[in-house]
Amino acid sequence: MTATVGQKAPDFTAPSYYQGTFTPVKLSDFAGKWVLLCFYPGDFTFV
Amino acid sequence: MSAVADRYEELQELGVEVISVSVDSHFVHKMWNDHELTKMVDGGIPFHMASDQAGNIGRAYGVWDENEGIELRGRFIIDPDGVIQAMEVLTPPVGRRIAETIRQVQAYQLVRESGGTEATPAGWEPGDLTLKPGPDLVGKVWEVWNPSMEQ
Repeated sequence: MTATVGQKAPDFTAPSYYQGTFTPVKLSDFAGKWVLLCFYPGDFTFV
Repeated sequence: MSAVADRYEELQELGVEVISVSVDSHFVHKMWNDHELTKMVDGGIPFHMASDQAGNIGRAYGVWDENEGIELRGRFIIDPDGVIQAMEVLTPPVGRRIAETIRQVQAYQLVRESGGTEATPAGWEPGDLTLKPGPDLVGKVWEVWNPSMEQ
């Protein structure tokens, strides 16, 4: 299932760098909050 | 991502959490943060920088570029029920405009707080007039709103 507006956001868990630590992040842990999810092509790219 | 980090305090005040995702490892995220992003934003990136090396999250969100093995600039606004309210996908050479994302969050928050009784017209900014869809408004939008009101 691909993400669509008006539908549930696909949940995921991923390794993450967070404020000096390596802490996995799980989308559904943020239930009850607004979430801004931003993908980008890669670290050390220009835009 | 430094543009988002720069507005992070404002996003926090709006009750918004941020997660960035790319195919780089979390170790590379640390290097990018420490060696470049901290030079653009005081304190570096304050939110989770997630790693999606296999591209599974990118595929689920329709932003995986299988030829390049990277993720496109996908931006999703997810509400407190976990429902996607807005999405924007750009190819790599053009960056996003965080001010527009914040405006959309504010608009969706207003709609949600109104229980769906209010809607925001084109170009709406906080404080501007909202529309109250219903039988009385059909064919009468012109009386309360016109394109010149979009700044």
